Amino acid sequence: MKKFLLASSALLLVAPAASAQEKTLTISVYGFAQDAFKELVYTPFEQKCGCKLVVETGNSVERLAKMEANKASPVVDMAVVSMADALSASRADLIEKIDTSKLQNFNKLYDLAKDPNGDGMSVGYTFYATSIVYRSDKMEVNSWADLLDEKNASHVAFPNVTTNQGPPALYMVGEAIGKNTPDLKEAIAAVGAKKDDIVTFYVKSSQLVQLMQQEEIWAAPIGRFSWEGFTKLGLPIKWATPKEGQTGGMNVMVLTKGGKNQDLALQFMDFWLSTEIQTALAEKLVDSPANKDVKVSPEIAENLTYGEETVKNLKLIPSAVALDNREAWLSEWNAQVGQ
Amino acid sequence: MFQNRAEALALALPAAVFAAIVFLAPVVILLAEGFRNADSWSLSAYTTFFSDPLNRTVFLRTFRLGLMVTAVSAVIGYAAAFAIVNLTPRNKGQMIGLVVLPLMISSVARTYAWIVILGRTGIVNQALQLVGLSDEPIRFLFTETAVFIGLLQLFLPLMILSLISALENMPKDAIPAARVLGANWFQVFFKVILPLTKEGLVIGGTLVFTGSLTAYITPAILGGSKVLMLETLLYQRVTVANDFVAASVIAFILIVMSFAANLLLKRLATARNKR
Repeated sequence: MKKFLLASSALLLVAPAASAQEKTLTISVYGFAQDAFKELVYTPFEQKCGCKLVVETGNSVERLAKMEANKASPVVDMAVVSMADALSASRADLIEKIDTSKLQNFNKLYDLAKDPNGDGMSVGYTFYATSIVYRSDKMEVNSWADLLDEKNASHVAFPNVTTNQGPPALYMVGEAIGKNTPDLKEAIAAVGAKKDDIVTFYVKSSQLVQLMQQEEIWAAPIGRFSWEGFTKLGLPIKWATPKEGQTGGMNVMVLTKGGKNQDLALQFMDFWLSTEIQTALAEKLVDSPANKDVKVSPEIAENLTYGEETVKNLKLIPSAVALDNREAWLSEWNAQVGQ
Repeated sequence: MFQNRAEALALALPAAVFAAIVFLAPVVILLAEGFRNADSWSLSAYTTFFSDPLNRTVFLRTFRLGLMVTAVSAVIGYAAAFAIVNLTPRNKGQMIGLVVLPLMISSVARTYAWIVILGRTGIVNQALQLVGLSDEPIRFLFTETAVFIGLLQLFLPLMILSLISALENMPKDAIPAARVLGANWFQVFFKVILPLTKEGLVIGGTLVFTGSLTAYITPAILGGSKVLMLETLLYQRVTVANDFVAASVIAFILIVMSFAANLLLKRLATARNKR
């Protein structure tokens, strides 16, 4: 009996290792909240598929550059990137169409997430609203233009154009001043005119909580995923609902062209989009759900971009606009604001 | 020590080969990128870089801040080092310990401390308002002043330590001798102390200047994108624009500036010697 137990436990130890050698899925993701992802997504999936996940992390520029370099023999099977980066990958012929008939959870997604770029190459898995966090005892925000107001500008941190929040915030400033063109010229000029007043053009939103706490700033455009930290400061802080609306961004999943494990990659995508996993990620405040069947408590919803109404009203910059203008935005920004 | 040169060279060879493969070769490959244009060698990456007014501003700012930090740390460094070498051995040890202490704390933590100290509600602004020097909080954060203060604090200990060891090697009676012969303190410093401690100044100056040129965290946190320096610009070019050519150009400029500073300081030191 003892021998049998020993033998079977040895088998148990060997079995997962053996199957892990059979199937490996390599994914490329943002470096953010990896502990939570490991616990809620990666490990459960590995147990379910009996395969091994290799996770590559980094910012999207690095990861896309790597995919481009390995184009001939892809290393990564699936990647998650921003909407605009997905279009860029598609134009560079790095990804291929996603067979959504193999995704059982596809029909549970919000319409906005089903085919964000209209080319069938990506599926949205999370999005975020971008609006203005502000000190309600010091100022009032009813419009994106209020940020550049005489009284307020010297208490504002504005996102740098190089961040994910930069172009959407500029897009809304353009909307507010009634001069919104894809080149964001007028909006950048309006911000440039106040560049000496504005406290900083932030690159990392994690820095803003401290600046708010020190009263260095009273307001900043941020993504909803950064909101929670501000609520814990014990200061009168509000999330603005400007009359021009809120903006934001969406992250999507893509399938590498010529990947060796496409079926497994699709299974993984489907798993990630399932109501169960999307709920778990929402409850840990990791990602706002793209699956409309996800139900969370009001307290959790408060910290996410949640609900049909919210999602429908997000004004997102179309990927093609973002992609075709990125370089021009940066040089315009460097000329008007950067010096 | 060795019978012949060949033996000594043979012993140095493994280390030299190692350094060449893992250090020199990558540096050369990286820098070569900036001189390639399609298939030929060219300086076009450099002319493009310097034709952008933003890049020129950033270059000059980096250079200016480096010089200012070096100059001010030399002035403060001489005063501090002079005071420290004249203490009793016991007190001297304690003071050197205090100078070294900040070097043991991560520069990230030190820089974040400056955000609190220099903030609108920080101790500096509170003090200024208390003594009536200012009616409302002055903005220090995200200005060149903040970067300057951060860099100075970061590298001052290196200058002080270099000058302490230089001053300790100076003959004890040199200063009294000069005084007896009628030199005023100004002359004592420029004709006696400075020539005798110039080696320490060269070492300290090189460390502080190259450190200021290449520090990343301090300008990134205290200056942000409003006070771009060459190193923060380099990061931006790579991570945002995926532009490795511009990054290689910046890296080359930084290396040249560091070497130039060291050569220049050495030259100044030997020029004084000859006189």
